[in-house]
Amino acid sequence: MSGHRIRAITRRLLQGFRRDRRTLALLFVAPIVILGLLGYLMRGSSSSPSVGIANQDSGPLGAVVAKTLRHSSHITTSDINASDGDPKLRDGSLVAYVVLPSDFSSQAQAGTVAPEVHLEGSQPGEDAPVLQALQQAMTSLASQVAGRNVSFQPQVKYLYGGANYDTLDYFGAAFVGLVVFFLVFVITIVSFLNERSQGTLERLMASPLRRGEIVLGYMLGFTVIALVQAAEVLIFSLAILRIHNQGNVLLIFGMEALMAIAAVNLGIFLSMFARSEFQAVQFIPLVVVPQILLSGIIFPVSTEPSALQYLSNVLPLTYAVNGMRDIMVKDADLTWSSLQLDAAVVAGFCVVLIAAGTATLRRRLA
Amino acid sequence: MGDSYAVDVQEVSKSFGAFKALNGVTLRVRQGEIYGLLGPNGAGKTTLIRMICGLLEAHGGTVTVLGQRMPNVAVLRHIGYMTQQAALYPALSVEENVDFFAAINGAESGVKEALELVQLYDRRKSVVSTLSGGLRQRCSLACALVHRPELLLLDEPTVGIDPQLRVQFWEYFRRMAAEGTTLIVSSHVMDEADRCQRLGLIQYGRLLAEGSPADIRAQGGSQNLEEAFLALAAATPRRAES
Ligand SMILES: Nc1ncnc2c1ncn2[C@@H]1O[C@H](COP(=O)(O)OP(=O)(O)OP(=O)(O)O)[C@@H](O)[C@H]1O
Ligand SMILES: [Mg+2]
Repeated sequence: MSGHRIRAITRRLLQGFRRDRRTLALLFVAPIVILGLLGYLMRGSSSSPSVGIANQDSGPLGAVVAKTLRHSSHITTSDINASDGDPKLRDGSLVAYVVLPSDFSSQAQAGTVAPEVHLEGSQPGEDAPVLQALQQAMTSLASQVAGRNVSFQPQVKYLYGGANYDTLDYFGAAFVGLVVFFLVFVITIVSFLNERSQGTLERLMASPLRRGEIVLGYMLGFTVIALVQAAEVLIFSLAILRIHNQGNVLLIFGMEALMAIAAVNLGIFLSMFARSEFQAVQFIPLVVVPQILLSGIIFPVSTEPSALQYLSNVLPLTYAVNGMRDIMVKDADLTWSSLQLDAAVVAGFCVVLIAAGTATLRRRLA
Repeated sequence: MGDSYAVDVQEVSKSFGAFKALNGVTLRVRQGEIYGLLGPNGAGKTTLIRMICGLLEAHGGTVTVLGQRMPNVAVLRHIGYMTQQAALYPALSVEENVDFFAAINGAESGVKEALELVQLYDRRKSVVSTLSGGLRQRCSLACALVHRPELLLLDEPTVGIDPQLRVQFWEYFRRMAAEGTTLIVSSHVMDEADRCQRLGLIQYGRLLAEGSPADIRAQGGSQNLEEAFLALAAATPRRAES
């Protein structure tokens, strides 16, 4: 052991960093961006789930329950007609609605109430506050019906998912696409930089190849790998993990393929801004983590602070994740306008990146 | 007059930031000629070659190759460029590398011949990352000439090549020139310079002497090419800063 030689290694490392301003900047900027975003997301998230109340009770007790629900801090309520409930769940303006039947008061007098609770069901985290608020309302109801124990037997109906639908099902739908997206992104950015550092890119530039041909050739090559990976991920998720899937497997695969193509082009494009593999690796947290946080995978976009919602709405991954969930959880098909939008945004993103990657290719060679 | 020259470089300048790598270089190379670029490290040889194939854009002056102003993608299929460092795909075999460069130049048929020329046909299945430095250099040359270009730009092609093969390379270069191929070869080796029809001496980004090896000997006042070269180099003023 020689302190001298160890010091030589340490000094050499720090000297390299001094020249590599970009890596240094990323090293200090990335954590602030990521933590800042996370803090803003978690502290700033405001909205409580929107619940509709359809009070059909001919007696007085339904109104009592509705009033308690209205004052609950767990949920935000609105009065609706029972027939409007399902459409509102579908278009996302409600996460649940409660129907208090016309014989609700007499049920309560008889000792057992069975209100219908309709849950949207695709986001497991949002069910708990609804059921909790309802439970509280029933407790206060019991105090109104003197001398009786009222037992509460809600009839829970799920629009999507179901009682067995769990967190893995919810995240699984998004992660099936996400895993492919990020792995493909990483191998593309690194191998494109290899091409630059081993000098072969210079040779390609001195050949009759056109820039667009290089970008498209890369895209096809990595897409082949990505599709094999996508198929593997899909089979594993559905057959082994048994992630909830309502939708058409071919549609899921199609969406995964679109995400993979987007990832390849993102990798090629971003490799133009890195001079070494080292710098490229720095891009990964900066590109990957904010997208995971903002694309609605963990926190639904609708619960984000409104400033961040704008950001989420321009990230292609938001649409990709939404599309995957629509297919796997809601059995969306291509006649759904939301799925058309999701697919079109991801495809449009690919086209923009192909153009941008092609345009930046020559400039960065010199 | 211009189109009888395969390469016509007029008053070309190139700066990297404030640093003038090339400063008003003018040279012309006739079709079928072997033109040697000589000059010390950092003189601007590689920069000039990269400008001839349009990889760098000039800050002043013009480069015309085979009658077309560069940069021009259409001309590139007639150019073969061997970079100074062997630029190959390390994970591919020798044959796969040559195949690839043949394919992007639209000339799949020349692969076997190119491999035989650099005497790598027996090792065509070897993966490039396992090759020695000289073998890589040979593979790199094969990639540059597999499509039988009209203009071959060779940046120090014989570095690391053993003497026997070097003699064979030069025989082949001469045969190609006789068939009408134009070659521009950069080198530090004086006995190679002697095999060129014409030489250009570059220093500090300027062309300071040009002519046949005999002319250079006369200009430098020495029968020894190396001494003549050193005498000419010592007589030039230092690089001009921009
Ligand atoms: N991309 C670049 N950025 C900054 N300076 C550069 C760049 N490319 C070349 N140079 C500088 O231009 C000068 C000429 O370089 P060039 O590579 O043409 O030299 P060369 O004659 O080929 O030398 P060698 O015999 O060592 O290969 C050198 O001083 C080099 O440092
Ligand atoms: Mg050089």
